Amino acid sequence: MNQLSRYVRGPLLLIALLVIMRYLFPNKMTFFWEVSTFGIYIIANDILYGYMGMVSFGQPFYLGIGAYAAAIYLAHIGQNIFIAISLAILAGLVTGLILGPAYIRLRGDYYALINAATCAMGLFMVEKVLYPITNGDDGLWYRSSMQPTPFLNLKMPGDVFWFTMIILGLVMIFYTWLDRSTLGAAFRGMKASENKMKFLGYDTFKLRWLGYTMMCVLAALSGSLYAINYGFVNPSITEPARSAEVLVATLLGGPGSVYGPFFGTLAFLGIKDFVSSVMTRWELAVGILTIIVCFYFEGGVWGTIQKIGAKIRARATKAGNAVSAKTAGSSKS
Amino acid sequence: MNEVLLSVKDLNVSYKTLHVLFDVSIEIKEGEVVVVVGRNGAGKTTLFRTVAGFLKQTSGAITFKGQDIGNLPAYEVAVRGLKYIQQDKHVFADLSVRENLELGSYATKDYEWDRVLDHFPKLKTLMDRKGGNLSGGERQMLLMAQSLLGQPELVLMDEPTEGLAPHVIDDLKQAFKKISEQSTLVIIEQNLPLTAEVADRVYAMKEGKVVAEITEKKEIQDLAFEKYL
Repeated sequence: MNQLSRYVRGPLLLIALLVIMRYLFPNKMTFFWEVSTFGIYIIANDILYGYMGMVSFGQPFYLGIGAYAAAIYLAHIGQNIFIAISLAILAGLVTGLILGPAYIRLRGDYYALINAATCAMGLFMVEKVLYPITNGDDGLWYRSSMQPTPFLNLKMPGDVFWFTMIILGLVMIFYTWLDRSTLGAAFRGMKASENKMKFLGYDTFKLRWLGYTMMCVLAALSGSLYAINYGFVNPSITEPARSAEVLVATLLGGPGSVYGPFFGTLAFLGIKDFVSSVMTRWELAVGILTIIVCFYFEGGVWGTIQKIGAKIRARATKAGNAVSAKTAGSSKS
Repeated sequence: MNEVLLSVKDLNVSYKTLHVLFDVSIEIKEGEVVVVVGRNGAGKTTLFRTVAGFLKQTSGAITFKGQDIGNLPAYEVAVRGLKYIQQDKHVFADLSVRENLELGSYATKDYEWDRVLDHFPKLKTLMDRKGGNLSGGERQMLLMAQSLLGQPELVLMDEPTEGLAPHVIDDLKQAFKKISEQSTLVIIEQNLPLTAEVADRVYAMKEGKVVAEITEKKEIQDLAFEKYL
């Protein structure tokens, strides 16, 4: 039971925070919905970037896989959103299993660039090659055909919010488990020294493949949530230019930490939301903040919160020790 | 008569066009502590890295427990019971001592930490400390503990005492003796007095070749191998 609460407590607290904020700021419900959906996308990226040290400049491709899998099903085949989400997850899984063995052989800049190339090709595919299915730049529209279930009508923003919260909660519980598991330690170990992992007896190729596939599945899941909420998907979701967003948000939160993606998403979308109401080029503020984080706050928002917490705890312990020493001294005299 | 655990025969290794090991042959028997000595660049680390599966030989044979391991990847060599501790004392800096040990355990499915930590009692007090915050000696202990999980038959240690304080080396010396009761040890060592104390046999290497094998304890204690370096 204690073991279970270790993985559930933190995610539930963060979900509760989002729910409270949603009721405190009712006109910001879409913002909090996006925090949860984008948060899953950032978690996907953090498994590769934060834990395994693999930077990708093509994450929108994996988001697009899920979004288009769900959208194509809803626009052409069926109406059930759960099947749409399942298909998106399956598409992510198949992508990971097929592309993984080739892509994860590459390291550093080569891995980053092959993903950028894949993303550009993905954009071309959905815009031109698959036009009869994807409708090119005009995109796919299927909102009216999405079938409500007895408990959930995803055409209603309130239902979408709660549904996404449940999905985010489950993903965060999985992510917390991963962070604290030996598998998470193995991912971090590979980032530190792949050779040493091999000498310990790990097949690092399989480990990287597993991490890559996890990333594909979670990014596709996030893509399907975008597709279902908007009832519309067009090629802009796979724009290579948007790959910077996911990297910046991961960096802002603190890569390789369990709550980093959540806080990174909150910071990134918060700045975007706030600054875009004041000036059109909100990216300027995000850029400046990213530079500051790179130079002065290596662990990002979550890393800084942890450091402050550790300092406060150390001070409290020091003060506690001083009081007990004083008490001991006075009782002696 | 102890069985031959590791046999390296006529091993040649090249880094692209640079030939670094020339017809190297060594044999390690069960229960021995064998020390490989030689100056920098003699090919000792290359020999270890090739045996551990990290480098591929250009010719020659490597057999461990009678099976050819010459073409196996490093992780499979480790799983078969041959562990290699690198020279760089590289522990996983961001992981705690506990997590470092968990990684050792998970790969080999050996969770009997007490057996290993008995050799390094100090580690028991450092379980929650990050690997990056350990001293050089503590790192070496952690690396050895991590590698001993899974009860490997053979452990290759590349300069385990390099850069360590004399009192830490004394501790490690005791640990070598205890470990050698359970596993066969092959150590690269530049510390010749230490070699004289712990070695059952010594191989001297020079310019990519094994130039001498010293088997007499008296000769080892008299540092007779020094003349080959």
